Amino acid sequence: MMRSKFLCGAALLGAATICATAGVQAQEINFWTINFSNQAANKALESIAQEFEAKHPGVDVVFTQRAVDEHKTALRVAAGSDTGPDIYFSWAGLGLGGEYVQAGMSVPLDDYYKKYNWKDELLPTAAAFADDFAEGMHGVPFTFKGEALYYNKTLFEKAGITKEPETYEELLAAAGALKEQGIPAITFGGTVNWHVMRLMDVILETKCGAQTHDDLMAMKASWSTTPCAADAFAELKTWSDNYFLKPFMGISQQQSFSLFVAGRAAMMLEGNWLVQQLSEASDLNNYGLFPFPTGTKRLYGFAEYNYVSSKSKNPDLAAEFLDYFISTDVQQRYLGTMATSSINSKVKYENQRPLEVEWNEIFGAYDQMFVNGDQAFPGNVTTEYFRVINEVASDNMEPKAAADALQSFIDNL
Amino acid sequence: MSALFRKMEDRPWLFLAPAVIVYAVFALWPMVDVTIVSFQKWNGLDANRQFVGLANYQYIFLQDPVFWTAFINTVIWTFLSLIFPPAIGLALAIGLNREIAGRSALRAVFYLPVIIAPIAVATMWRWMYDPFFGLFAQTLTEWGLPVPDFLGQKDTALYYVFVAYVWQQVGFSMVLFLAGLQSVDRSLVEAAQIDGAGRWKIFRHVTVPAIMPTITIVLVLSLIHSLKAFDIVYGLTGGGPAQSTQMLALWAFSQSMKAFDFGRGGAVSVVLLVITVAIVIPYLRWSMSREVHE
Repeated sequence: MMRSKFLCGAALLGAATICATAGVQAQEINFWTINFSNQAANKALESIAQEFEAKHPGVDVVFTQRAVDEHKTALRVAAGSDTGPDIYFSWAGLGLGGEYVQAGMSVPLDDYYKKYNWKDELLPTAAAFADDFAEGMHGVPFTFKGEALYYNKTLFEKAGITKEPETYEELLAAAGALKEQGIPAITFGGTVNWHVMRLMDVILETKCGAQTHDDLMAMKASWSTTPCAADAFAELKTWSDNYFLKPFMGISQQQSFSLFVAGRAAMMLEGNWLVQQLSEASDLNNYGLFPFPTGTKRLYGFAEYNYVSSKSKNPDLAAEFLDYFISTDVQQRYLGTMATSSINSKVKYENQRPLEVEWNEIFGAYDQMFVNGDQAFPGNVTTEYFRVINEVASDNMEPKAAADALQSFIDNL
Repeated sequence: MSALFRKMEDRPWLFLAPAVIVYAVFALWPMVDVTIVSFQKWNGLDANRQFVGLANYQYIFLQDPVFWTAFINTVIWTFLSLIFPPAIGLALAIGLNREIAGRSALRAVFYLPVIIAPIAVATMWRWMYDPFFGLFAQTLTEWGLPVPDFLGQKDTALYYVFVAYVWQQVGFSMVLFLAGLQSVDRSLVEAAQIDGAGRWKIFRHVTVPAIMPTITIVLVLSLIHSLKAFDIVYGLTGGGPAQSTQMLALWAFSQSMKAFDFGRGGAVSVVLLVITVAIVIPYLRWSMSREVHE
């Protein structure tokens, strides 16, 4: 008798435990994201999650943070299985992030965009990427990043440059003036392929114009028969031959930054995230900023998004968390932790440093963007894009041959 | 209990099964799977893997702009690996086999790099190779010599990476040679000395024949290590500049895990697997025949 009572009790306790566990699991939001090098961003994410949990008793936001490559691999593994995250981080647009969307990893968010009026809260340029897909709106902006030329005011003055270049010709003239003074115009780190790639991206935009540039990146136009593609490679070669701080192929972007701060080169093509790094390493007042003068009225940059996963058992709750995350209140309180500017258009900017003010002016001046090459191309084409850029920049390949090689690779996909 | 053991003695597969299962799941199946994938087109996302026959092999052999660079680099790397780490390791072993002060400490010092993770070795050497602030750059500048872009020049980057590899691997060869040198019969050496043989003649006609099995083992293991070279290249150059330091193992990884072209990555892996098997099987047959003779 005692034994049967004990068994019944144990069974009830077990059932209760299973039910309780099931209940908790039902209210769990699994959020897969990358490990941000900016520790303030990692802490902000945790804090925002804790606030959301406090407002929603029983909900547990569980972060899984991985290095970039491991994150991409984990998403691919999840795409082929029945389980996965509720929310995942990826880049915006058709390239890197688009692959997962097209593979069915993301839930269309049209209903949530309407329900929460997200378009009213979000910066139009940041939110525009959600509309890239024919089958519905995907993802919600996480950060919005622009890239522009930072310059050392002292070195510009030394070279007699009195105003920021507004056209590509003025930029070339400034680079020439710096060279005459023995000052390398710009610094890049070649070991991370994407750093030199940035220069190729902006030169392509300059030489080809917006539409042709987009067609080349979408692989709709031929790199070998579109003359501006070879012209852009030739221009890249001009820059690397004449205006780069050398050597550059054997150093990383971080080493290149140290050289920029040390005053060894006059310019650096970097994103708005550099303001914080610069403030920690040097006197911000010694630096200025201007967009690369492509002449196309599009800003170079990219957005990072959070997507609701098709593996989510509770997409409503995931969307509710994202709504909380992008809300004006949260974005205002955590301003500057994840990026210098918020993706929320209602956030107020006060007590900003001059370079941050400049960034806000730049963001306000543009309503269109073009994204980095490694986010526009599929991964395998990006690898070849990196290779031909490095070959041209290190004088091992002629510009036309580079354009032909890239097209040949695309043809063999 | 003894009855149970008697029963199991009749069923050797019961003892073998756990090891066979682990080996099959973690060693054999991945090899089979990578071979299957090498005949497919798959980006890791699509639910369906499309069978493409030999297209991936055709691509890597005829169209891939990097495969042959990786192949030639692997051949060069392997060739150099058969010369430098064993030769330096042997020289160190001979030196440290003598009664000299601090012998044990020196053996430990030379062996130390072997136990450091290759990626840590790569990080350390990357800083030393920094063309602006690195140890070599500072030294060359002080001597008034030009500073090369050690890891940034396409023609020489591979050799600078190899120097770091030698630094790490030399201790491994040294330890094996030290063990081999213990087996040299002292009476033969003494007999040669009585007969008037000099150091070189003793080395050439007594020591080398005695350590010939060790030399073979060191060369084969160096060969296998060199074919697997991955971490140190990944950490130092990532295969750059412009893929000029790519190796087969790294290129297979890059194709699969960075470009997410698992079919082509699988094809490169299979090529590397075939080369490795072609080397390892004769070695295994040789070492097993030695065991039988002994």
